[in-house]
Amino acid sequence: MRGFLRWRTAELPVMHVSTPAVIPVNQLLKSPMGCGAMMKSVMEVLLLLMLFFTAHAKEKSYSPPEKPTQTRCRSPEKETFTCWWEPGSDGGLPTTYALYYRKENSETVYECPDYHTAGENSCFFNKNDTSIWVNYNISVVATNALGRAFSDPVDIDVVYIVEPNPPEKLTVAVMEDKGWPFLLVSWEPPHKADTRSGWITLIYELRVRLEEEEDDWEMHHAGQQKMFNIFSLRSGGEYLVEVRCKPDHGFWSEWSSTSYVKVPDYFHREKSMWILVAVFSALIFLILTWLLHMNSHSLKHCILPPVPGPKIKGFDNKLLKNGNSDEIFSALVVPNFPPASASKYEEMLVEYLEVYVPEEPELMLEESKDLLDGCLKSENSRSDSDSGRGSCDSHTLLMDKCGETKEEERQTNRESSLMETQGWKEEAINHDTSGKVKTWPSVYSPLPQYGSNPLDKQSSLETAKQHSLSTSSFLTQPGTKDALGPSYTDFCLSNKENHLHPQTLAHRALQTQSDVNISNIGCKRSPATEYVEVQRVNKEDMVLLQPVVSRCGHIEGCPNLPKGEDYSKVKGVDCDNRLLLQREGTGEDVCPCVDQETNGEGGNCYTSSTVSTTQKPTACMYTAMPLQEETALALNGYVDTATMGNLPSC
Amino acid sequence: MDSFEIKITHYIPYFMQSVVWPLLLWPCLQTVSIPLDCREDQGGVNRCPSISQEKLLDRVIQHAELIYRVSEESCSLFEEMFIPFELQLQRNQAGYTCITKALPIPSSRSEIQQISDKWLLHSVLMLVQSWIEPLVYLQTSLNLYDVAPNTLLNKTKWVSEKLISLEQGVVVLIKKMLDEGLLTTNSEQGLFHNDAQPEMLESVMRDYTSLSCFKKDAHKMETFLKLLKCRQTDKYNCA
Repeated sequence: MRGFLRWRTAELPVMHVSTPAVIPVNQLLKSPMGCGAMMKSVMEVLLLLMLFFTAHAKEKSYSPPEKPTQTRCRSPEKETFTCWWEPGSDGGLPTTYALYYRKENSETVYECPDYHTAGENSCFFNKNDTSIWVNYNISVVATNALGRAFSDPVDIDVVYIVEPNPPEKLTVAVMEDKGWPFLLVSWEPPHKADTRSGWITLIYELRVRLEEEEDDWEMHHAGQQKMFNIFSLRSGGEYLVEVRCKPDHGFWSEWSSTSYVKVPDYFHREKSMWILVAVFSALIFLILTWLLHMNSHSLKHCILPPVPGPKIKGFDNKLLKNGNSDEIFSALVVPNFPPASASKYEEMLVEYLEVYVPEEPELMLEESKDLLDGCLKSENSRSDSDSGRGSCDSHTLLMDKCGETKEEERQTNRESSLMETQGWKEEAINHDTSGKVKTWPSVYSPLPQYGSNPLDKQSSLETAKQHSLSTSSFLTQPGTKDALGPSYTDFCLSNKENHLHPQTLAHRALQTQSDVNISNIGCKRSPATEYVEVQRVNKEDMVLLQPVVSRCGHIEGCPNLPKGEDYSKVKGVDCDNRLLLQREGTGEDVCPCVDQETNGEGGNCYTSSTVSTTQKPTACMYTAMPLQEETALALNGYVDTATMGNLPSC
Repeated sequence: MDSFEIKITHYIPYFMQSVVWPLLLWPCLQTVSIPLDCREDQGGVNRCPSISQEKLLDRVIQHAELIYRVSEESCSLFEEMFIPFELQLQRNQAGYTCITKALPIPSSRSEIQQISDKWLLHSVLMLVQSWIEPLVYLQTSLNLYDVAPNTLLNKTKWVSEKLISLEQGVVVLIKKMLDEGLLTTNSEQGLFHNDAQPEMLESVMRDYTSLSCFKKDAHKMETFLKLLKCRQTDKYNCA
């Protein structure tokens, strides 16, 4: 044996089987060593191993059966009932099941009378074995060769375990109610349930769905009735109907077999109504569109009112295109303007006043500054297509000329006055667009009372008037070159309060005075009437004046008419304060003021009227004109409205 | 001011409910429903309008149904709280029997089909009358429990009250249907009395038995009445 073992181990080192079982085999196989013998031994070993392991694998633990479980007991009609159980594992051996029961208060154990009627693992109690209102104690026993197992007992009372069969004979019919279809569903109770005697009272429930909608049931509770109406159907739909029942104290039955029904198409009526509605609304829409189209313009005006463009009344654009200017502007000419019977002075032509510039410039400056507000100088000696309003921007402003005159005449005063005038030139001028006459700020001589109150215009003007008178008297001395010097400046009064009436009077008075001054100088026309031209209006509404060029060159006194301007000479002013214009006269008419000796009576020379009549007419002296009736020709064709202005009674 | 406005809006519905509507409906509140005293004067006119038999039967059946439902709920409540699972299944083994066992009441369908209307009604009446007293006892017993829930107590109380009205209804029904006069009696005793103070476990088991027996008897009452109803084929169609 040992040698065998040794041989074995030596020969077959892989296999280390050293069981005693191997030994007898080896003894049996004591045969001469070789390949065949080796193979045989291997086979034997393998066989034994297989047996060994399979024996282990096939080994069963036979055991008693597992406890069965009772699932439920049901009675379909409260007269019989059935109990079912679930068997456990049977332990590998054939197992039998038995059901035993006891009735309440009785120790007698009965076995299930019927194991087969109700199927596998069930027990059926027929009518005779069924007692109602009696507790049954039921248990199931599983038995096999090794043992038995008892299930848990169950106490039941038949009346509490009623689960009826589903209702039967379900019928569904499509009925019509005033054109609208509905389903009439009817059924029968399960045939076993005795509802007729009232033994069982059943309540029903049904459910409906469309064929294409899975699991979307619509439930209806039907109570104890056996028919039901279903409304709100979809036309052309296919419906499925099912019904179930339940006793008053019990379980719901299963759903009955499905009943199919198809609802016929009934929407023709609906469709026709919709067609009617659509047509009607289309008609209304068309009518509205047509109305809108017809009234589109007025609607446009309503919704989007047109923005008024600039338009002058009476001004025809087409004429402008044609290029006929006369016709165009004829529309602009307002008839009866200027009003012939203007009562207010502001509507009249405002004369310019020639103001005597005193020696002391400061006061004047003060005053001028104080009084400066808005000035308008109306040029009365010219008639243009303008409405006759005075405008400071005419180049016949006296101020400029006066400034130059001062220079020539006086060195000192002129300088100062020039400064003043220049200052005045640059004073702010407000054009009063309303047509009121505004005159330049007063540049009176430095009378103390002037310097104080610019608002007290009336008084100041009167005093100024007196002053001018005095100055005029002063100036009448001939040859006095050192007179105060005519600085002819127009003066404007700031006229905020439109108290023009007295002012203009005074102005005119002053102007006359200044004209007197002018006459002293001789036939220097340039100082007599110096005109300034508006250079420009700066941003502070100040009119910048400049002397009119090429005006003062003629010493003869030819008035320097601005060349190329459209001026017409004023012949005179009639009683109605109307300017009588002269055609453009010759120079002869205009020129000689020197030789003119006028007493205010006609003549070519025109003098500004003065209030005072103390002046003697000298050569080229302005004389006061009785303004009531005379029409004076200006020396240079200009009518000095100052004289005209003194026609209050006219 | 905002909070004031919020308060106003918040309290307006409450105000409406509690003050305005009662004021508006004050006249209606004064109409109080008084139960009719329907005792007939001797030789006098019956002041109360009588109810029809069908309606009375329906009403009685409704009563019985309700009583059964409430008793079923009470029983299951009691079972959950007090009865361990093992004992639930061994009700009958404890030896407690229903008190009404001895009553001559049909217990199978065949019996019931053979019995007459009169006996059906009388059976119902017997059942009702036999349970009035035990329910009172049950109520007192339950009140002794420390942990008895209020719902259970309320239900049992309600049931005992309704049972009395059911008895009255059945008496009237008997009178109408059978033209018999019966006395509503509480004097019938003897079915149940317990003098000794029971032990706790016994008490619980007894109450449990009592409840389940009553539940069963309530179902009997309901069934009898429904059978009676369907027997009136000229007035009802139970098919």
